[in-house]
Amino acid sequence: MAQNVNPLYEPQNTNSGKEGEMVKLPQNDGHAVTKRLHKELMSLMMSADQSISAFPDGENLFSWVGTVWGPKDSVYEELKFKLSFQFPNSYPYKAPVVKFVTPCFHPNVDTQGNICLDILKDNWSALYDVRTILLSIQALLDEPNVDSPLNGLAAETWTKKDEYRQHVMAMYKEV
Amino acid sequence: MASSSSEVKESTSRGDGGDRPNTKEDDRKEDNLLECNICLDTAKDAVVSLCGHLFCWPCLHQWLETRPNRQVCPVCKAAISRDKVVPLYGRGSTQQQDPREKVPPRPAGQRTEPESGNGFSGFGFGDGGFHMSFGIGAFPFGFFTSTFNFGEPRPNVPAQGTPQYMEEQFLSKVFLWLALIFIAWLLLA
Repeated sequence: MAQNVNPLYEPQNTNSGKEGEMVKLPQNDGHAVTKRLHKELMSLMMSADQSISAFPDGENLFSWVGTVWGPKDSVYEELKFKLSFQFPNSYPYKAPVVKFVTPCFHPNVDTQGNICLDILKDNWSALYDVRTILLSIQALLDEPNVDSPLNGLAAETWTKKDEYRQHVMAMYKEV
Repeated sequence: MASSSSEVKESTSRGDGGDRPNTKEDDRKEDNLLECNICLDTAKDAVVSLCGHLFCWPCLHQWLETRPNRQVCPVCKAAISRDKVVPLYGRGSTQQQDPREKVPPRPAGQRTEPESGNGFSGFGFGDGGFHMSFGIGAFPFGFFTSTFNFGEPRPNVPAQGTPQYMEEQFLSKVFLWLALIFIAWLLLA
């Protein structure tokens, strides 16, 4: 198992007849991950959707910065939120770590920017990509799950729109 | 040689002028259809899940490995497993592959034989009627009378699943264990 987990492990002579048992998979190296991230970047740049965007953060392809505009007709309308993506070496088999960089007042976002979203945890699928994550987070903004909040105050005031909006604006700070 | 042929290609492709972008678009769409849902590349060692989704076998295998307790299709989250995928064999596509890329081997296609009436019966061997019995008589001499009997005349095996079958299985297990205990006792004494 360890061979499959550690992407730096390169077995030298695997063709000694015990193939099929426990041999490193060709997919699980940095190259395959980089290739997929490149493809995602290409399709993101080609897409016409103005309300989300993402781009690698500097030289490192394993760390991205994304932006999400608040959905129309929601309390977050006209607000731009920055997010950080950290891709593990086992991406896309494991979900990236996604956090809000822009402070966000939301029932499912804590003060550190951590997000409680099922598709980033147990319901992750290798099919999801940066674009679908951004769209899910955008949808989450206007459809919070108030039953399991990270921010109790936000969950309580969610139904009182004016008060809620005041909290959102007080916390919001463009970065 | 190579350069001249590429020139020819170039000139012919230049020839079709107007409808070229269109066909290119079509080509790309066509390509997308055959892309693995995990690596987003053209599927290598392609397999299709029973729910109809295409993957590279190495990609899907790793997906199944990362979550052995909850094996679901990445696309539609239908239950999926190693036995529930069908390999796609293109014409002559599997020959010149680096064997390393074959690891782990793709599950084989399942080929069901067409029904062909009743198979032969009569030999105790052919239809799975292999019996091993271990008899114990007057100890210790009877111990050596244990026999293997291959297809000797003996009552027919009851059909699988019937209570009688279960009972016989149980009995044969009990006697096997008894025999093993005797052997162990013999050796230790």
